[in-house]
Amino acid sequence: MRTRDIHKESLIREKAIEIIVNHGFDGLSMHKLAKSAGVSVATIYIYFKDREQLIQQLYTEENAKMAEATLLNFNPESHFDEGLKVQWMNRMRYCLKNPYSMTFMEQVKHSPLVDRSSIDQRFLHAMSTFVHKAIERKEIVSLPVEIYWSIAFAPLYQLVKFHISKTSMPGRPPFIFDEEKINQTLELVIKALKP
Amino acid sequence: MNDIYQTHDHILVFRTNINRKKHVRTISPLLNGCDTIKKWNVDLSDIDNVLRIEATHSDCAPVIELVKQAGYACEELTD
Repeated sequence: MRTRDIHKESLIREKAIEIIVNHGFDGLSMHKLAKSAGVSVATIYIYFKDREQLIQQLYTEENAKMAEATLLNFNPESHFDEGLKVQWMNRMRYCLKNPYSMTFMEQVKHSPLVDRSSIDQRFLHAMSTFVHKAIERKEIVSLPVEIYWSIAFAPLYQLVKFHISKTSMPGRPPFIFDEEKINQTLELVIKALKP
Repeated sequence: MNDIYQTHDHILVFRTNINRKKHVRTISPLLNGCDTIKKWNVDLSDIDNVLRIEATHSDCAPVIELVKQAGYACEELTD
């Protein structure tokens, strides 16, 4: 009889994310994963039904962790300018602390392997309340959600990527996303969304 | 989630050559008809085509026998 071991399970998860980030979804085989986590292939199947379920679970778990970090000290009823700043700081801290997780979540967005409908409802609800209140109070313009997201958050993620990869444009010194640069970008983003 | 695993403590894992959905359909009646097997699935997305079984016992032999009778290769995936 095999027993479950929480540490082993989380090590398998962690290594699976690393492999997917470094080698893509196709690069994740149970053999490679077993070797990298120092367990047997059989052991992985104790914890996970199959490769697809493993990937799906990684997404669900990372999504929950990210949602929790993002909602820290965030009030969905707050003024848009304040709320967005909290969102940016929370998301940035999370990404810098968990760079693998961030890249993994990006990969998932473009993969048919993962059912993203299982997204954290509390997070969705908070973000939707935040935007709709801001629109109601005429703090921002009403936009299709894709356009809103691309203006409100895509700049943040792009600059975090520059920061993490330590390179940006050819011939430029390493980009450091510090408080000053955050405020500078945030100001432009907020300006763009004003009615 | 842990509770589920605690009630089915016997997870048996086999390497097989069941590598197509239609083959999975072929063995379905056999495995479904076995009352010591609570749940089973075949991982078609990985090279070992692992047959994973949650059983009421830890004996691999009857499962191997069953799958082999259906004409597929089946061996226990050991640690």
